[in-house]
Amino acid sequence: MAIVGQLLFSGLAIGGVYALVALGIALIYRATNVVNFAQGEFCMLGAYALVLFTQGAQVNYFAGFLIALAAMALLGLLFALGIYYPLRNRSFLSVIIATIGASIMFQNGALAVFGPSPERLRPVFEGGTGGITLGEVFFDYQYVVLLAVTLVLVGLQYFFFEHTLLGKKLQATSQDKDMARLLGIPVTRMIALTFVYSTLLGGLAGMLVAPIFFVTHKMGAVVGFKAFAATIAGGFGDVRGAIVGGLALGVVETFGAAYVSVVYKDAFAFVLLILFLLLRPQGLFGEKLAEKA
Amino acid sequence: MRSFSCALLFALLAASDGRAAGGGDPIRIGQVLPITGEAAEAGRYHKYGAELAVEQVNKLGGIKGRKIELIQEDDKTTNPGAVAALQRLLENKDMPAVLGSIRSTQVQAMLPTVKEAGIPFMIGGTNYGLTHQGNPWVFRFRPHDGFSAKVIARFAVEELKLKKIALIHSTDAFGSGGRDMVVKALGELKADPVLVQGFNNGEKDFTAVLTALRQSGADGLITYFTFSTDNGIFAKQLKQLGIKATWIGSPSIVAIDGRKLAGDALYGTYAVSDFHVDGSPKSKEFTAAYKAKYNLEPDLYAAWCYDAVSVLADAMRRAPDLKPESIRKAILSIKGFPGAEGEYNFDENGDGLDHYHILRNENGVIKYFKTIRVPR
Repeated sequence: MAIVGQLLFSGLAIGGVYALVALGIALIYRATNVVNFAQGEFCMLGAYALVLFTQGAQVNYFAGFLIALAAMALLGLLFALGIYYPLRNRSFLSVIIATIGASIMFQNGALAVFGPSPERLRPVFEGGTGGITLGEVFFDYQYVVLLAVTLVLVGLQYFFFEHTLLGKKLQATSQDKDMARLLGIPVTRMIALTFVYSTLLGGLAGMLVAPIFFVTHKMGAVVGFKAFAATIAGGFGDVRGAIVGGLALGVVETFGAAYVSVVYKDAFAFVLLILFLLLRPQGLFGEKLAEKA
Repeated sequence: MRSFSCALLFALLAASDGRAAGGGDPIRIGQVLPITGEAAEAGRYHKYGAELAVEQVNKLGGIKGRKIELIQEDDKTTNPGAVAALQRLLENKDMPAVLGSIRSTQVQAMLPTVKEAGIPFMIGGTNYGLTHQGNPWVFRFRPHDGFSAKVIARFAVEELKLKKIALIHSTDAFGSGGRDMVVKALGELKADPVLVQGFNNGEKDFTAVLTALRQSGADGLITYFTFSTDNGIFAKQLKQLGIKATWIGSPSIVAIDGRKLAGDALYGTYAVSDFHVDGSPKSKEFTAAYKAKYNLEPDLYAAWCYDAVSVLADAMRRAPDLKPESIRKAILSIKGFPGAEGEYNFDENGDGLDHYHILRNENGVIKYFKTIRVPR
């Protein structure tokens, strides 16, 4: 029983990371109909930003956290202006390829600037073993923080989209740009805002997962692909689906590794992706998507 | 690189005019090493090690009245790059020998060219098969992986008296090769492993592996990790889950990156390594000379290249002439030659070493523990 608990906890926590990144992918997809393949790199860049401010500039950890988040928001804006905006009237393919290009650029840029040696980032709560053992299950504080942040963000986001004017404007933009424009909603600004928020989400996921994964220029690639699979399972552009898909993926691969095969652990994500594409292309919560279209 | 070797060549030609002083053309030895690409950092230490040996040989009057000189070519850390670099070196028909790579896959890629050229080829790659393919020109300056597996198994069973040993390994060529040899070595000692578990490089969450380890009730753990960063993550999670097994790891367990990441989670672990600064009197001597010249702590990259040049120089000194066949015979006749890595005794396959040092991580400092030699 302890083993199941341990696996479930680890799976959910890793799934939380996938969910945060998947959420960013889903939001951008809803707003622009484009898959952002650089979403995983936002994780990596967020983690490096935190390394830079807390270890390089020796800023207090929590202040560094806020500065790094601000830097990520700025990056999101630049990303929207530099990658999405110039290509917005071309076919979606150009934008997708531009995001792939950005992803390669970010990875190699990080390699050039920070080098191949991984960086160690301190967890939010320092000291001791970094966790607590309850009934033979070890709860890593960082995992707990990750899960808590995921859940709180999901709640806040629901409130924001359903109960604020700005949230509704964003929703309107994602549902029908032309109509939204006719209603006087500044569509371009809404899309830029979506990019900013998604970059923040990615960066936050990276900063929280960095003490567990360590910071390398490659850390975004793994997370990005898994999050992409989670987005597919959740139904593309479905916010609720992305979150549930991410958490489920973390659990499935952890249990799969324990009870089926460790070596094929990474394959579970992609088997799941293929199964969903074949059997349930509309995703976990299919009806919602149909309604949106 | 091309222009660099050209410049070097011109410099050498210019120098050779003053024959009276230098005593004839220098003997040019080739070195294939990573100057660019992922292993560029390690490439620097290859260069330092080899150049230190060249300097020492020349200080003692060179070979047969001639100085020795290194001609270096970049392998770009790739297999095609290594083959191309070797071919550029072989354009020099008088080259008596070439120092090759520490990477087994690159050595594998270069072997056909070496066989065709027919000159001694010094390698640092530890894959067992490299010296067992009937290629008479290959000489290895690090102990091969078969020895490390035997040393780990013997140390675990005979010295540490471990009863239930678990084996966890990367699933790449290095890790699964290591697995096969450790399983065999443990079997010979009548101590079959209680758990054999692979994982893919780059794994981030070892919960599944660690729960299997805990269930197996192992008191000893042997690991073959290719990347020290994976090793670091594994160590941290092992400690968090409170698993207490005596741990002996492949050399990546003492690599600086992983140690920086894992911190105290690796304290008390053992490792096997072919080089340690306190490994032998010659290792200490080498370390002192290296530190004096470069103000750096030497590593195995520098050590094997230093040994390759030293052994080659010794062979060339004793050989009647500098024909490849004469040098080959002279290397094969070497017995009890003290090197920075260990004592060289070449067998008919071209393997020079048969030892491994056991090292111990004592509160973050890697201390020399003991040396184990394996009968071949």
